[in-house]
Amino acid sequence: MKVGVQINERELELEVATNSTLIDLLREDLGLRGTVEGCGVGVCGSCTVLVDGRPVSSCLVLAADVDGRVVTTIEGLGRNGALDPVQEAFLEHQAFQCGYCTAGMIMAVKGLLAENPRPSAAEAKDYLSGNICRCGTYEEVLGAVATAAASSDGGGD
Amino acid sequence: MQPFELLQPRTLEDALDRLADDEEARPLAGGTALVVLMKHALLRPERLVNLKRIPALQGIDWSSETGLRIGALTTIREVEQHQAVRTWFPALAEACHVVANVRIRNLATLGGNLAHADYQSDPPAMLIALGARVRIRSVSGEREEPLETFLVSGYQTTLEPGELVTDILVPPPTAGRRMQYLKFTTRSAEDRPCVGVAVSLGLEGTACRDLRVVVGAVSSTPVRVAEGEELATGKVLTPDLIDEIAGRAASAVDPIGDVRGSPEYKRRLVQVLVRRSLLGSVTEVSA
Ligand SMILES: Cc1cc2nc3c(=O)[nH]c(=O)nc-3n(C[C@H](O)[C@H](O)[C@H](O)COP(=O)(O)OP(=O)(O)OC[C@H]3O[C@@H](n4cnc5c(N)ncnc54)[C@H](O)[C@@H]3O)c2cc1C
Repeated sequence: MKVGVQINERELELEVATNSTLIDLLREDLGLRGTVEGCGVGVCGSCTVLVDGRPVSSCLVLAADVDGRVVTTIEGLGRNGALDPVQEAFLEHQAFQCGYCTAGMIMAVKGLLAENPRPSAAEAKDYLSGNICRCGTYEEVLGAVATAAASSDGGGD
Repeated sequence: MQPFELLQPRTLEDALDRLADDEEARPLAGGTALVVLMKHALLRPERLVNLKRIPALQGIDWSSETGLRIGALTTIREVEQHQAVRTWFPALAEACHVVANVRIRNLATLGGNLAHADYQSDPPAMLIALGARVRIRSVSGEREEPLETFLVSGYQTTLEPGELVTDILVPPPTAGRRMQYLKFTTRSAEDRPCVGVAVSLGLEGTACRDLRVVVGAVSSTPVRVAEGEELATGKVLTPDLIDEIAGRAASAVDPIGDVRGSPEYKRRLVQVLVRRSLLGSVTEVSA
């Protein structure tokens, strides 16, 4: 079926199968491999992307359901070769080890800061509690959130 | 996932017609339960009727005369963040806030949560404590039912093929009503509940006029602690009386043991959480 969607600021007209999910569309049809699948059932957060600015698990969204929506993935962050302030903050704090959860974690932080540009540590923990990092870099992630929030534009676009 | 046909009705009438035409067609709301079941091939529907593009199923209205109307397709996140819900039903906002994680709450709908009827859920116990009703439509008409009887057992409701939940209705709270939802998880912060306890307390001065205590996630449907509720009527909720009600709650439940806790463990938790939620409600009164 036909889907008209804006992905990372590009307007696209795509043909998708009804049984294809948003992560299939991103990775297989568009070659956007930054979004990775972990559990496939909405628990782990590694496939987090923004739909109309809100974080969702792309493994559970039908591709057909992004018709008319705005999707942002990790590839859509940053301008003119410069990293997004949240990405910069993750580097500064080394808020990753193996990196598998990182793209999803960064997208979740983008969602958090868009809603709440100056989150308290408790608010950040609550919002991010469903993004799991098996390397246990949670302290570094929270440090990166604080840095990104303090940067002049709040990292929230 | 096996291939399926996806119907995209734009009106409620069209959706109901489609469901009436094909008894095997499945309504699709947020998909957070359905897509998981289909991925694991536990369900193999050949036709889905997508409800997401039907304006009549969206939105929240509040009036002090009639209370809250929540369209079935409203996401759990929208309920949690809605100003009238936060003002008039803070414990319902809480029971929605503690569902899963923010990504699931942005997708999952309140109607889907109730229709799916998983016993390890948060909103149903709180909604029952608040006396919520569900409005249901099919091509042959409309009916309304208390949520308490709508939920029949695990994954089972009174919905017949061709019927859709269209709205969730919550009566306006009486003046000064106290309410609490306490969720206890045993595996990770954002896990499904091991036990959830919902209380709603109406007061006459400092005495209890009416009390509802509902325990979620321990049986196939939420359990109302009727004996404890009656015990409270007309009395001031002293710590001793609260202990007694908590004891009644523990004996009223017959917990299912699962990965989140054994029956004995859950029974003990029920006692602790009922006590804690009632003490919390009473403290609020004197504050
Ligand atoms: C990772 C994860 C964690 C979770 N944690 C929690 C938790 O902590 N607490 C909790 O309470 N829940 C939890 N859930 C469950 C979640 O709340 C439900 O999956 C969700 O609410 C179902 O709503 P949906 O809109 O996604 O329904 P769908 O998946 O679209 O549908 C579910 C079922 O209901 C039917 N249906 C949907 N809408 C209607 C309607 N309007 N009328 C008639 N039938 C309908 C569908 O046909 C299907 O059978 C969790 C889910 C996931 C994936």
